[in-house]
Amino acid sequence: MEFDYNNLGLKCGLEIHQQLNSNTKLFCRCPNELQGTRKPDFTLKREMRPVLGEMGAFDQAMLTEYEKDISIVYECYNDVMCTYEIDETPPFECNEEARRIAIQIAQLLNSNVIEEMHVCRKNYLDGSVPGGFQRTMILAKDGYITLENDKKIGIDIICLEEDAARLIKAVQKTNYFRLDRLGIPLVEITTKPDISHPNECKECAERLGLLLWSTNVKKVLGSIRQDVNVSIKEGTRIEIKGVQKLDWIPLLINHEISRQLNLIKIKKELHNRELKAESIVDEPLDLSKELAKSKCNFVAKGIKSGKKLFGINCKGLKGIFGTQLMPDYRFGTEVSSKVKSISGLKGLIHSDENLKKYNFSEEDLKIMRQKLHSQDDDCYILVLGKKKEFEKALEVIKKRVIYAFKGVPPETRRALENGNTEFLRELHGGARLYPDTDSQAILNTDDEINIITDSLPEYPWIIIDRYSKKYNTEPRTIKELIFNDYLPLFDKIIEIYPENPTLIFTTLLETTTALKRDGKHIENITDEDYMRIFTLLKKKEIGKEAIEEMMITKTENPHTPIHEIKEKLGIEKVDMDELDEILSEIVKKSEQLIKEQEMRAMGPLMGDAMQKLRGKIDGAVISKHLKNLIQEKLKEMK
Amino acid sequence: MSKNLKGYRGNAKKLLEKKNLKIWDILQIKTKKTEYQGILLPRNEYSDEKFIEIKLENNYNVGIHYNDISEIKKIGEKEAHYKIPEKKFPKSKDLPEITLLGTGGTVASRLDYTTGAVIPAFTPGELFSAVPELAEICNLETEILFKMLSENMKPDVWQTLAKKVETLAHSGKEGIIIAHGTDTMGYTSAALSFMLQNLSIPVVLVGSQRSSDRPSSDAAINLINAATVATSDIAEVVVVMLGSSSHEYGLIHKGTLVRKMHTSYRNTFRTIDDIPMGLVKSRTIRMLKENYRTKKSQSSKKTTKALTNFEDKIGMIYSYPGLTNEELNFYIDKGYKGIVIMGTGLGHVNTRVFDSIKRGIEEDILFIMTSQTLHGFIGMNVYSTGRELLDLGVIPAHNLIPETAYVKLGWVLGNSDSLQEAKQLFLTNIADEFLEREVPIAFNYDIEDLL
Repeated sequence: MEFDYNNLGLKCGLEIHQQLNSNTKLFCRCPNELQGTRKPDFTLKREMRPVLGEMGAFDQAMLTEYEKDISIVYECYNDVMCTYEIDETPPFECNEEARRIAIQIAQLLNSNVIEEMHVCRKNYLDGSVPGGFQRTMILAKDGYITLENDKKIGIDIICLEEDAARLIKAVQKTNYFRLDRLGIPLVEITTKPDISHPNECKECAERLGLLLWSTNVKKVLGSIRQDVNVSIKEGTRIEIKGVQKLDWIPLLINHEISRQLNLIKIKKELHNRELKAESIVDEPLDLSKELAKSKCNFVAKGIKSGKKLFGINCKGLKGIFGTQLMPDYRFGTEVSSKVKSISGLKGLIHSDENLKKYNFSEEDLKIMRQKLHSQDDDCYILVLGKKKEFEKALEVIKKRVIYAFKGVPPETRRALENGNTEFLRELHGGARLYPDTDSQAILNTDDEINIITDSLPEYPWIIIDRYSKKYNTEPRTIKELIFNDYLPLFDKIIEIYPENPTLIFTTLLETTTALKRDGKHIENITDEDYMRIFTLLKKKEIGKEAIEEMMITKTENPHTPIHEIKEKLGIEKVDMDELDEILSEIVKKSEQLIKEQEMRAMGPLMGDAMQKLRGKIDGAVISKHLKNLIQEKLKEMK
Repeated sequence: MSKNLKGYRGNAKKLLEKKNLKIWDILQIKTKKTEYQGILLPRNEYSDEKFIEIKLENNYNVGIHYNDISEIKKIGEKEAHYKIPEKKFPKSKDLPEITLLGTGGTVASRLDYTTGAVIPAFTPGELFSAVPELAEICNLETEILFKMLSENMKPDVWQTLAKKVETLAHSGKEGIIIAHGTDTMGYTSAALSFMLQNLSIPVVLVGSQRSSDRPSSDAAINLINAATVATSDIAEVVVVMLGSSSHEYGLIHKGTLVRKMHTSYRNTFRTIDDIPMGLVKSRTIRMLKENYRTKKSQSSKKTTKALTNFEDKIGMIYSYPGLTNEELNFYIDKGYKGIVIMGTGLGHVNTRVFDSIKRGIEEDILFIMTSQTLHGFIGMNVYSTGRELLDLGVIPAHNLIPETAYVKLGWVLGNSDSLQEAKQLFLTNIADEFLEREVPIAFNYDIEDLL
């Protein structure tokens, strides 16, 4: 999928969330640590209600969220949490360390730091924050980041805020959140909508990521999260949340463009058909009696269990629900996923689908058409569920169909792995912001800002450029080092072992990835371990082939020091005389093979040699000596 | 002009005045480094006087130093109208008539810019809009008697409340809910317990520990629970607040035994020396105690009588290692009529202050002994200090928590003609405040164990 982005008037913006690596949380003194899968000590049940924003208005998205009628369970720990996280104690002083890291980031992004910050509450009803709001403050505004082609992408605002709780599971209408993540300091960077190409968006996200990772932020999986805003001419601004990989960005943007273009097409089609938005959705009809013995199994079963089957006819709408918006995603899917999200129903069926695939009989279809007075130009929708859920669903269907006349409804959507998106919630407006009455204004003084400005780290793209030139490698390799937080370690190792930078890159990037893939706990290998291994290599006490094996052993025996691992693996230094002795033995045993294969015997013999000598001496040395010995042998034979 | 620049002081105010600007003006501001556009907000009067505070277009608030501002001009106006939308509270023939009396507190509140804190405000319409479930429980009317933080309440508040309850009971109300700040809710509940004689309807005090301007507020569930109790047959003064940190159930605490035990937890209220009277969950009450007064036990709604006399000159003395005669003499010199001592342990003070206690008793001051341990009975026969204090004429308050003893003492002195009568009245069980015994589970009860 490719588009003429200029013509479309594509505008994208990014919202990057990055956890900071302060010792403790933003508004309490609990450790800044996730607890992984550790079992929680206790749970709490809570409910949330909508509240007014400071200007006295309800946020529409909040009211929609309340419609979902969600109960909340918080999973808590006794040792790494306090009463602040469970919304039972007012906030403590804002974390100084986190504030300084955030100021540094703001300075790197050429932004203007706000001198007097005011903590605001950003209200959420989904339960992700026990207070029902996230404490957040604008730390800086109006900055920019420079792309490789020198284009500047504006930074709108940089906020310092608390991370929300981790959603563990959603069972029926209950959301389970774990509170270890709640309150971890976070910077939220919002760019201006200056991005005009999907690849530019990816590059900008990558540069922001690199820049953040050159400061004292948390550098683990999930510590950085990005949202993408997309809009085109005639379309609207859509916020796509949960973009987990940079590579997804162009695909997501292209799919979203496709969705918006098709929704615009539908809008035009509806106007061409001269349909009226207000009268398009007929009153729903209860078809439960007529379809009680339907051949469609889940409908018959559902009705039997007390659910109702409702039919809604939409006049003149034939073909609209079946219109594809993105790959494998039709207008019907769009309405259905919104119904699911808000009413809790499983979805809907519509007559643009092949209804026979649900096993409806001709008779069933005839009855439905008749009862609903559905004409050939019409489309009818079927919803199975309890009356209350259906009422919510009907509201959603009506609203969404009526909005089709206007084009693209503004909303927040969730990124899916296939590049598509699904409805997450209405777009939150400013009405959900409220001043935090529990805290005082926070000052960022000029003196403080100046001290931080004087010691800013170098921009990562400059580092990448320098390193890739110096060590003669692809810039991508250095980027990888930064994103895996291995650059400081690389610097230490290269000092010990300057001979072969490529070997260090391979070890830190490829070997670790392979070991991780095999389920090894590479976090058991410390920086010191790597440095000891390369010291042994430098002293020629091991060959480079030994590195991987030593790393594997270390992952399995985290408490065993490297020198013991070396002994354990039987890695001893082999001198050249010993080497030739061992190799001569191999050559002698394989005379027949050498006679037949000549130099082609090198392969199998090298295999034998490596089995005996792996890790004890460099493979290249073995190869050289073996080659000489075979050549000598061949001469002898002749 | 100053009214239009609420909270501003010093140079920031001067600048705004010079430019003829006022709160809620939409401003365009240029500083040395950047530009801002936003609404001028009222300012907390305790905050730094060098900044002006605006709400940006993205709704975030920031403060800008007056000295950084090179240009400032008004481009519009937008005033905040922070008001919960009113919806008419629907009435139903079958539901009991309940009155909710407002006194203040965070159960119904909104932003106060002057202090940056929250202030009370509510009507039945607002309440219905915020907690529509109430209309399924009762026909609600509301009356705002005070708009007061509970720490600012004086005994006259209790007197007004008690008289109001008497009037409402006589007018046929089935129950009363009193929305109250939590800080001194226990004092008020104790005071009403003594003042409301022969109470014929439930009087339920309720509040919230998280103000109602936040989604996680406990105000709604507490109000629903309070309304459930107010429509029950419990003819007592009770406090109904959440029983755990979860929004699951409320506990019904007897007005004389309840105490706020945590600065901020939702389940801050606990019944002391006994188990709570009952539990209310999903609009159903489950009693945990058998002995309580019911509507049926009263002959008619007319029996309720507010006996509101109160002696204000009551002091409270905390017994601590440095306590001296000087401190006690202060109260005596100032003409205090009664003193509640929060003694150590079983009811002790250091023997050095016996002199002033002796003097006070000679001057007809009533001394009441309670314990700062809060839990447990006073036991003044165990150690010699206790026996000597008894001998001096100090009256042991048995199981009373200091706050209840304080309220009772003021009420007793207000309603007695002689010291002897007052002594006797103090030792009389007025509102079941004296327990016959402390059940073992009362100390550190766990609700799970009681169910």
